[in-house]
Amino acid sequence: MKPATTNSDQLHGTLDMLVLKVLDNGPLHGYAIAVRLERMSKDVLSVEEGSLYPALYRMERRGWLASNWAATDTGRRARFYKLTKTGRAQLDAETASWMRLTTAVADVLNG
Amino acid sequence: MIALRVALANVRALFRRNVITDEIREELQFHMEMRAAEYARGGLEAGDAQREARRRFGNPAVIQDRGYDVRGGGMLETIVQDVKYGVRQLRRQPSFSIVAILTLALGIGVSTALFSVIDAALLRPLPYPHPEELVTLNVEEPRPNEEAGSYAPSMADIRVWNTQTAIVAYAGTGRVDGFVPLIVDAGTPQRLNVGLASEGFLETYGAFPILGRGIQVDDTREGAPKVGVLGHAFWRREFGGDPDVVGRTVRIQNEPVTIVGVLPAGFFNGTAVWQAKQFKPRWLQNRGSGEGVIGRLRPGVTLAQATAALEAVTPAGTTRGPSPVASRVVIKSMYDEETEGFRATIRTLSLAVGLILLIACVNVAGLTLARGATRDVELAIRASIGAGRGRLVRQLLTESLLLAAAGASLGVLLAYASLDSLVALVPLSLPPNSPVAINLTVLAFALGVTIVTALLFGLVPALRLSRAPKMISSTLSVGGRGGAPLSTRAGQWLIAIEVAFALVLVTGSALILRSFARLVSVDLGYDTANALTLEVEPLDQSLPLRRDYYLSLLDAIRKLPEVASAGAIDQMALKGGGSWGFPTADTGVDIPGFQRSVLPGYFEAMGVRPLAGRLLQESDRATGEAVLVSDTSSRRFFGGNAIGHTLRSSDKTPRHWQIVGVVPDIRHGGPLWNGDPEMYVLPDPAASASSEMTLAMVMRLRDGQSVPRERLKQIADSFGPRVLVGKARSATALVSESVTTQRHRMLLLTLLGAFGLMLTLVGIFSMTAYAVARRTREIGVRVALGARPGQVVGAMVRDVAWPVALGLLAGLAGTYYATQLIKSFLFHTKPHDPATLVAVVVVLAIAAFLAAWLPARRAAAVDPLIALRSE
Repeated sequence: MKPATTNSDQLHGTLDMLVLKVLDNGPLHGYAIAVRLERMSKDVLSVEEGSLYPALYRMERRGWLASNWAATDTGRRARFYKLTKTGRAQLDAETASWMRLTTAVADVLNG
Repeated sequence: MIALRVALANVRALFRRNVITDEIREELQFHMEMRAAEYARGGLEAGDAQREARRRFGNPAVIQDRGYDVRGGGMLETIVQDVKYGVRQLRRQPSFSIVAILTLALGIGVSTALFSVIDAALLRPLPYPHPEELVTLNVEEPRPNEEAGSYAPSMADIRVWNTQTAIVAYAGTGRVDGFVPLIVDAGTPQRLNVGLASEGFLETYGAFPILGRGIQVDDTREGAPKVGVLGHAFWRREFGGDPDVVGRTVRIQNEPVTIVGVLPAGFFNGTAVWQAKQFKPRWLQNRGSGEGVIGRLRPGVTLAQATAALEAVTPAGTTRGPSPVASRVVIKSMYDEETEGFRATIRTLSLAVGLILLIACVNVAGLTLARGATRDVELAIRASIGAGRGRLVRQLLTESLLLAAAGASLGVLLAYASLDSLVALVPLSLPPNSPVAINLTVLAFALGVTIVTALLFGLVPALRLSRAPKMISSTLSVGGRGGAPLSTRAGQWLIAIEVAFALVLVTGSALILRSFARLVSVDLGYDTANALTLEVEPLDQSLPLRRDYYLSLLDAIRKLPEVASAGAIDQMALKGGGSWGFPTADTGVDIPGFQRSVLPGYFEAMGVRPLAGRLLQESDRATGEAVLVSDTSSRRFFGGNAIGHTLRSSDKTPRHWQIVGVVPDIRHGGPLWNGDPEMYVLPDPAASASSEMTLAMVMRLRDGQSVPRERLKQIADSFGPRVLVGKARSATALVSESVTTQRHRMLLLTLLGAFGLMLTLVGIFSMTAYAVARRTREIGVRVALGARPGQVVGAMVRDVAWPVALGLLAGLAGTYYATQLIKSFLFHTKPHDPATLVAVVVVLAIAAFLAAWLPARRAAAVDPLIALRSE
């Protein structure tokens, strides 16, 4: 039971970090986020694309994202997400910790 | 901040469920359409593109639900679910719910009602602006080789403090003078409360006149025109709220008093007029005039600062002339002074009410536990389809809160309905200006009690029962009837606890009851049967006129055919008070004691015979020199042989007396008497105008006769001078009034004790009844195997007997401490009165046995065949 939780936490964490990273360049709607994620990593949304949305809502609740309805290029109504101040801080913190982890792993591997 | 936002979102989401689901649906729809368009651009057919987009997306319904859980409402919605489910559960077992709710209603209702009294008495006893600035002031004069004398400050002290320091905002002296005869213009004389006040007294309380002016220094000089300020209620009632009332007069004790102002509403509602107190110039320096001095400190001044500042300017002189040591000023907070008197009573009542509340909690906990045993199956099933332990605990606690809330609503209604009777019963003289009411503070308290109660009685069962699903398989396979071990032990503990609480409570009530019985069976020294008293007072203050009036009235009363004998005594005597005299005996010693004015015939009317010598006769009135002393006086000052001794008064008007008889000690003021000596004197034939005499007529009626008050009033009014005729009261009524506080305390504590006992018995009864119901099959098996009915019932009762015995033992230990609290209320009764303790233990044991035996009997009636088939 325990390892599974850790895995899914890790997965959540990775997904969150990637979404924050994607939104760092400007507001996007859900589908656009999915497309960018796909380009960055095949795995994160491999199971079902829809699971992106509960993750978005969760991050919005935590105050990392803000959203509003706006028109797309083609004139359709869509919900756009953008990074908040807290979200940016979160992204910085996660990036830093990720870097520390990878450096540490690299150090170990390089012996 | 985030927590707040989440909470708001939750609440909003509850009402906006549709808006949110629509938004989510639209967003997901948009996503799938975009993806399908993408596939279509890649060359797929429209239908295939949609299908592929859908497949890639996952199940939209599930995603939508998960999204909704995150976005809105999740938590709140489960709470609503829990509540709905809880209400269904409670309705499924109405007998359980009704007993639990009534029990809680009693517990919470009683505590809420008492709290409303505490609120009035302790939380807001001083209903004046900034009560924390109010203080009482006293002066202590240190003396060499002697204890310091503590006095009320003189007017000179007060005026120096007021003018020479910046510490005191206002200070003054005054008092409510009790009922004095008061006539409004030409109206009917009434006895109303009149206050006497120096300047600064009303202002200290923050009572500034709404019309006219207050009492000023000039009004307090001897010989100044008499002025007074009207109380608001009196002004509305007698003057119809006349705005031009200033300048009119009222007559107080037959003296005209000019109205100079009207006080605001809500200030001492019971006092009709505050009259300016007048000081003779030589009295201005007098300390210890018997009336308290109050003051209002300026904001932010501490007691220590005030003491130092006032001591620095206090005049050097003392009551005994110049002194080398300066006087000390003693300042106390008025709050402490006011509440000191009723803290003991409030503590006792709080303990009693707290015990009732605890018993109620224990009871409901026991019921919940017992009922829970039959819910094993339900809980096991819920656990097996995925409810975590936290979820089950929450569900069970929600049900507890529901019960507590229902009980509390009913309880607050009960408290509200019984408030007036409670206030009439509370053995406290509650502050006159802060009425007892169910206000917001009290409601907040009730809410707090409800939550604490729900946790108290709900948490233990919730934690125990939520453990049940660990035994899912066994529970389900035995059909839930194997749950007994889960709750029997805990139930027994609960019975022990509530029996212990009940013992403490009932012992307290029994002690107070016994003490009261002793109090009212005290020999009063006179015959209360057929004795009737009537208070009459001529409004004219001149003594010869009053004396002659009383004599004529007495003659007229004696002529009534219903009256066997009649006399009169100082009115104060009937209230337990009186004036104190210090005559000197021919033996050279002073004999202090109550000096009571009587008219001949008094002792005959009271049914009192002399212990030695004779009673007073009409012929003694010519000289007024014959005097009687009480038994105590005779023993204390004359070795029990007082007859023939002479007394000399050291008053302004010297008198000589000769002791002609000794009468038994008479408890004029009722059974509570502290053994003061008494002497009975006739009116002085050479009376001066300054002495006072206000008598009550006392008559002994012939058996079975009565005289209506109207008839007596008619007679009293028929001699010329205007008189004020009070109530006609039997001696029995007077005695009963004298122990009102004690009676109320007794009634209240007996009532609380009865509640506690009742709740405990209900608890034992219902827990046993549940045990029997739950163990039907086991009993069936035992009966089938040959157990006799007596054995079965015995086993059930034995399960209760041990905890009851344990509870009684623990309760005895608790009683030892708890009864110390009521020690000061007990009359000729020890807090550890063995007879009372034994009686209470025996009664409780028998009652507990019955409470267990009645439901246990049903076990014997179990038909083994039906019991076994019931599975």
